[in-house]
Amino acid sequence: MANINKGAQDHTFDAIVIGSGISGGWAAKEFTEKGLKTLVLERGRDVKHLKDYPTTNKYPWEFPHRGQIPQAIQEEAPVVSRCYAFKEDAMHFFVKDKEHPYEQDKPFDWIRGYQVGGKSLLWARQTQRWSDFDFEGPARDGFAVDWPVRYADIAPWYSYVEKFVGISGNKDGIPNLPDGEFLPPLEMTAVEEYFKGFVAKNYKDRHVIYGRCAHLTEPQPIHIQQGRVQCQKRNLCQRGCPFGGYFSSNSSTLPWAEKTGNLTLRPFSVVHSIIYDEQKGKATGVRVVDTQTKETTEYYARVIFVNAAAINTNLILLNSTSNRFPNGLGNDSGVLGKYFAFHNYRGRISADYEGMPDLTTEGRSPTSAYIPRFRNVVKQETDFLRGYAAGFSTGRRSWNSHDGFGQTLKDHLFNEEMGNWWVGSHMMGETIPKEISQLTLDKTKKDEWGVPVIHVNLGYDDNDEKMLKDFYEQMTEMYTKAGFTNIRTEDSKQAPGLDIHEMGGARMGKDPKTSILNKWNQMHAVNNVFVTDGACMTSTSTQNPSLTYMALTARAVDYAVSQLKKGEI
Amino acid sequence: MLVNRRTALKQVLVVSAGLALLPSCLRKPSPASISLKNIAVDAEGENMLAALADTLIPATSTPGAKDVKAHLFALTMVDDCMKKEDQQKFLTGMKAFSDLCQKKNGHSFEKSSPAERAALLKELEAADASKDDAAAFYRTVKQLTIYGYTTSEYYLTKVQVYELVPGRFHGSVPVKPASKRTA
Repeated sequence: MANINKGAQDHTFDAIVIGSGISGGWAAKEFTEKGLKTLVLERGRDVKHLKDYPTTNKYPWEFPHRGQIPQAIQEEAPVVSRCYAFKEDAMHFFVKDKEHPYEQDKPFDWIRGYQVGGKSLLWARQTQRWSDFDFEGPARDGFAVDWPVRYADIAPWYSYVEKFVGISGNKDGIPNLPDGEFLPPLEMTAVEEYFKGFVAKNYKDRHVIYGRCAHLTEPQPIHIQQGRVQCQKRNLCQRGCPFGGYFSSNSSTLPWAEKTGNLTLRPFSVVHSIIYDEQKGKATGVRVVDTQTKETTEYYARVIFVNAAAINTNLILLNSTSNRFPNGLGNDSGVLGKYFAFHNYRGRISADYEGMPDLTTEGRSPTSAYIPRFRNVVKQETDFLRGYAAGFSTGRRSWNSHDGFGQTLKDHLFNEEMGNWWVGSHMMGETIPKEISQLTLDKTKKDEWGVPVIHVNLGYDDNDEKMLKDFYEQMTEMYTKAGFTNIRTEDSKQAPGLDIHEMGGARMGKDPKTSILNKWNQMHAVNNVFVTDGACMTSTSTQNPSLTYMALTARAVDYAVSQLKKGEI
Repeated sequence: MLVNRRTALKQVLVVSAGLALLPSCLRKPSPASISLKNIAVDAEGENMLAALADTLIPATSTPGAKDVKAHLFALTMVDDCMKKEDQQKFLTGMKAFSDLCQKKNGHSFEKSSPAERAALLKELEAADASKDDAAAFYRTVKQLTIYGYTTSEYYLTKVQVYELVPGRFHGSVPVKPASKRTA
């Protein structure tokens, strides 16, 4: 491997952050604000806020296929084409299948965004806190290992990141979905309000709430300082927002880090592996392959944060082998790459509501209502473990008749008709991390940067099937009692991965014999390496995970810097 | 003007080569006005689609489908966004439609009178598209023409106004009684 280092000095930083997505952006912000010279490595190209959102102000008619992905691209990239957000207006922010191959031991749709900001440009922006009903799950129900943290450890850090990110929400007072630092909520629709009232009256432990989301409904001074203003309800978030109305690394943490003067951002940098020094017993840096020149360079730092997104974080760690760690960095326990999990998004249920014919909505809402988990919360009550949350949205159906031709058809197209309200819901089920659900490296195949190709072996189990059935049953009952009609259930049969909530592989835990990271997201065996993206997750619960990654990251940086100052790492 | 023999001969050769090519050039249909990658539709086919779009959504006091180039949008969608077998079905149907028109009216769809066009479309509206190639083609063109028309700049700025920046969301507003719009 050619080493083109001009001098170790130029390549030495206080901290290295691998990845610039939602958690890497936070690591960059926290390190640079605390005065550490920080190198952020991003495998993709740079995407600058405002400048690099080429489609953001386009009207529907400016897209030659009105958003649809051409057939040739769909056939060449079937995996990414299954993603709901992969459309003509945002396709430039997604990795096409051929650009980075992987092996599916079982069907797995790996959705990736290789650019500065990663998938934070594309996320669905739902930000629900975990509670102790989530953190205590594995210990209570006897799967995975006990989380080494509890809600009280993370709560102040949820607050810390929420204030900076800007979260719109209601204080609902629900024990299993703790309240946070909220900007005002948007309105729920008339039917969502109706269903909320109906459920509150008929089910003592079920709730329909406004989904908490990372949108600036009423920007505070801290958001204005970031150059972000009020969300304009465009619902074109996936293009990048010219208002900074939703949170992304690009609009928020990275420019903030840049202003400190302590940030060095290096795009086109694939991390091959982390360098481990046997004498020092520490990681000393990383080996980087420049994707344009294919040259390998080394960069050094006192502390390394791995935020490459769950699968690539596992890949880097598994590929960082040495005499001390022949099976991957920090992998004394042998669990690295194992106990990988995701969220079950297969179930959907839709219906009509014939009530409230005199009401409709106006404008667009970037979020929807949310039904927090109500199954097995306080105690085990079903024949499956854990439970599901659900998104819940409604709207008034309107259409133009397509009957006839000539003047008749044209009259139809100029005059809209109004139908019933539509009602829709999708499940977000917790899945159980298992030893057999794992990521491994191919023994021979390598990608174009000389990094082994990763195998993903992940599937649904009996628990997931039972949970899906229960979602249909419970929701059908609630819908029916609420007077919704024409109820239709659908199993999307989607492969794991399409939820884009892959988690685990380098899990946190109390015991170095069964986990990779301690309660500070610090490697048990290599104390200057931290993992704070999805790879660290011990279990998955039901909440959209990004908010928890951000809180864990800010907390871990705070700890790492205090340890650095004490000379402990 | 002094023309040497060599040049003269060359020019004769060029001219005769051109003449030799001419008949085949004449036979060669002129291409469609947009470049197509996957389907063979020439200017004649494009004109037929334009006439069909104009019959489906005619220009009145307001622009019709042809004015907003909805037929070219339809062609682009067939060329770029359809599976091979569906493209083949579209082309087969296009020929069947053209033949049907020829048979019924004795001339092409463009040359058909408004009454002849309407009679043909009425017949196809009633036909079973799963069994009839011409009817299947008609349904596809109708669907795509409507889609192109209702997502055109004209429609989204003058009929159903699309707001790029709504700046608001209201979850519960009274339904306004809509007055009938003149199409």
